[in-house]
Amino acid sequence: MLRNLGFFSKISFAWLSLMLFFAIAGPLLPLPDPSEFSDALGAGIFTSGHLLGTDLNGYDLFANIVVGSRNSLFIAIISVGLGSLLGGILGIAAGYLRGKTDYVLTIFFNIFLSIPNLILSLVLIAVLATSPDPTQTVADSRRLVVIIISLTIVIIPILGRITRGSTLAWTNAEFVVAAKSMGMKDLMIIRRHIIPNVLPSIYAVAFLAIGIVIVVEGALSLLGIGVGQGISWGSMLARSQGDLEYAPTSLFVPLTFLALTVIACNQIGDALRQHLDSRESKL
Amino acid sequence: MQSNRRCPSTAPRQQGVKTVSELLRVSNLDVRFDTARGLLHAVKDVSFNLEPGESLGIVGESGSGKTVLSRATMGLLTMSTAKKSGSVVLNDVEITKLSRSELRSKWGTEMAIVFQDPMTALNPVRRIGDQIAEGPRVRLGMSKKDAKQRAIELLKMVQIAEPEKVLKKFPLQLSGGMRQRVMIAIAIACNPKILFADEPTTALDVTVQAQILGLISSLRKQLNMSLILVTHDLGVVAGHTDKIAVMYAGEIVEMAPTKELFSNVRMPYTEALLNSIPRITNQSGIRLPVIEGRLPDPTLPQNGCGFSARCKYATEKCHTERPQLVDGGNGHMYRCFFPLGVNK
Repeated sequence: MLRNLGFFSKISFAWLSLMLFFAIAGPLLPLPDPSEFSDALGAGIFTSGHLLGTDLNGYDLFANIVVGSRNSLFIAIISVGLGSLLGGILGIAAGYLRGKTDYVLTIFFNIFLSIPNLILSLVLIAVLATSPDPTQTVADSRRLVVIIISLTIVIIPILGRITRGSTLAWTNAEFVVAAKSMGMKDLMIIRRHIIPNVLPSIYAVAFLAIGIVIVVEGALSLLGIGVGQGISWGSMLARSQGDLEYAPTSLFVPLTFLALTVIACNQIGDALRQHLDSRESKL
Repeated sequence: MQSNRRCPSTAPRQQGVKTVSELLRVSNLDVRFDTARGLLHAVKDVSFNLEPGESLGIVGESGSGKTVLSRATMGLLTMSTAKKSGSVVLNDVEITKLSRSELRSKWGTEMAIVFQDPMTALNPVRRIGDQIAEGPRVRLGMSKKDAKQRAIELLKMVQIAEPEKVLKKFPLQLSGGMRQRVMIAIAIACNPKILFADEPTTALDVTVQAQILGLISSLRKQLNMSLILVTHDLGVVAGHTDKIAVMYAGEIVEMAPTKELFSNVRMPYTEALLNSIPRITNQSGIRLPVIEGRLPDPTLPQNGCGFSARCKYATEKCHTERPQLVDGGNGHMYRCFFPLGVNK
């Protein structure tokens, strides 16, 4: 499949691999301590010792990007992964079983799709991850879990609907009837005939969803309810949001990383979809 | 009434084997679909029987209910909109009353089906070998190794060269004829007693059609299976079935042993079908006769004979009164007030 990728898809793939490398191998890289102030405040890019410059607090931007990639990608991948898994299971159940199950699940999907995701996250964080005592802070890990849950809830109905549609189409395929006519059990038909065919469309949408989730996480940070201080791309933006005049790089650098990653995800998602479409048209 | 419907069996081919019991008996099978336009009466009060090793051709035009009949007989009509009545007895077991899992245990091992379009009836993302081995693995509990051996054996039976290579291929790497052979291999993998072939050659080239039909026929004899061959082409069933049922608008309008049917056509519809087969002896430049008109709307109730609107012999009686299936001797049954070649 990789061989057939276009130029932009190859670049996107390389970019995502680099981000993944940052996220995994970040602590091993010879970088300045991301939480340490340096003397250079608001330095531009390619300043000696600071590859991408510093912000007005003197934090090294590149080191923060590398550390932030871990949280940004972790949140995105976990919530999309969980959401795809649960949405996929529900969608397959709805599309394969039809009838009442389908009716109830479709209503459930529609209700959840109607909830604006930012408000859902705000409410969940306010209720589950905020301490009523302002002097006590809530652990970052708890906030992280709540953010992931709220994003997962947003992903489930999207993936659920996509999977349901795809499952409906494949369930009516003749080879499924053929498998039935050979006396296969439903679970076996789902495992061997439905899932392998539905999976590509789940992948394609999941990649698009990863892009969306990265942006949502950034927005949450800007609203002050992201994870901690400066440990995700979104919270880097939040920390520097007032400094555009004095240290533009402190905003442009995380923004560029965020934008490029989202574009790369969308590009890969599109490439997967195209690959899928052309494969189907060959049948 | 019941005995009137019973069709005398044609002589089974094998010598020395006493076939007293029948393998399949379908009586008064009736299928309706609840559609947006109303109740669609797809199969009307159909009865037939089948002996071990016997083959039956079900012939009719598109929309005559032949596919629904074969699926309903197997119990494969699972949509909630289908309303079924009547009885289907397979090996002395009434299968319309079985639970889903009991019915499932009959599929594959007792009844199997070959579908019309081998392009869509194979899973595009799984290898041929896995798809053939699935039946023996799951239904017969074979080990992976035995199932692979069985798959090779089956591919040899359906006359595919280099079966080991074909096992590793995906459906889209095979030609239409090869895919239909694979479908047949899948269907016979668990030694079914009845093979349903639902227009098995419609999607294929004419040259391949004859090979596939020949293959199905020879496998039927080799494995002593019964065969129900559903098709819209009288020419297809002519050489490959012991008896033929002609369907029109959901009813069996004529049923007879194959030779008897072709030599003594009784039903005007069958005659019209036969006349519309192109023949090498037809004079060139002359239009092939067609049957004017269309099937009656299956959602509307019918008075009289379903074919009366298109029948050139139809009289007032045909439009108002419903003909019953009558036994004309020699196992020949027809549903017509004015059968051809019979003097009143």
